[in-house]
Amino acid sequence: MRADLPPISEIWVYLSGSPLLALILTLSAYQIGLLVYERLNRNPLVNPVAIAVLIVAVAITLIDMPYAKYFEGAQFVHFLLGTATVSLAVPIYKGFSALSGRMLPLLLALLGGGVISILSAVGLARLLGADAAIVGGLYAKSVTAPIAMGVAERIGASPTLTAVFAVSTGILGAVLGRFVLDFVGVRAWWQRGFAIGVAAHGIGTSRAFSVHPEAGAYSSMAMGMHGIIGALLIPALVSLFR
Amino acid sequence: MISGLVQILLFQGLGELISRFALPLVPGPVIGLMVLLGYLLVHGSVGASLDLVAATFSQHLGLLFIPAAVGVVMFWPQLQTHALAVVVALVASVVLTIAVTALILKALAGPDSDAR
Repeated sequence: MRADLPPISEIWVYLSGSPLLALILTLSAYQIGLLVYERLNRNPLVNPVAIAVLIVAVAITLIDMPYAKYFEGAQFVHFLLGTATVSLAVPIYKGFSALSGRMLPLLLALLGGGVISILSAVGLARLLGADAAIVGGLYAKSVTAPIAMGVAERIGASPTLTAVFAVSTGILGAVLGRFVLDFVGVRAWWQRGFAIGVAAHGIGTSRAFSVHPEAGAYSSMAMGMHGIIGALLIPALVSLFR
Repeated sequence: MISGLVQILLFQGLGELISRFALPLVPGPVIGLMVLLGYLLVHGSVGASLDLVAATFSQHLGLLFIPAAVGVVMFWPQLQTHALAVVVALVASVVLTIAVTALILKALAGPDSDAR
């Protein structure tokens, strides 16, 4: 090594001190997640976000980077969540104008499904002895992750656990949905799609789109409605429970 | 693209202000979403720039919650202790939610709804 080159450790100190490392890590992990997802024909079991989270978690553990330090750099990505949430108004608007005729039954089904989602998750987790932090993370798990995390902050729950439970719920709903729907004998595409969207938000919706366009449209509608109504009602429901 | 982004940021700011001073229980971005939705319903159409920004965001929404979700490393011991409760709650809840939602729709739509 030539004497005028800085030692590796110095380069490392410089890199890990800037947000760049966390951003490179986050973006490249997401890209790997997307590549794997595409390569395996968009199988819902290999969710790109879950893969990326796994890669980043392993990477920061290996290089001994504290989570707080990673987040300090990655907060620029995190900040855009709020902006992305506002932009959800556009797909919701398009959905509203395309299928407003069935509004009342959709609304009732959403309320029924949303309440069951919370009661069953929170009830079972409490019954099986989960602690308050985990139970808190379950309230908003069927709401699309960006909105769910905002709701989690307002009800004093962990946005992290909420995001992890929301992604897991999305994957489970995308994988199990068709078996559940076949089992209960619901065959109309709009009903199947809407049920998947209420339970499994964005991940369920992309699954629904890959099965049938009508199912996808109703699923994305359900996800939008659940986002808005969940954000309005979940804080009220939580204060009732406590 | 830029004008759409500016529009969204303005609605986000408006939402944050309303949340801060009037509706503290509802997250600011969700209020921003509702106000933008109201604006679109009144306006009756989506501008091309806004449409592009919204499409880009929804296509890569997943990327944006990676930083927060990585925090799962901090909860790892806790999740391992309560693994059974978490798995049972998540699986049972998603199955029940799908079933109940679908059955309510089917019941409300009446017997002809299986026609297509």
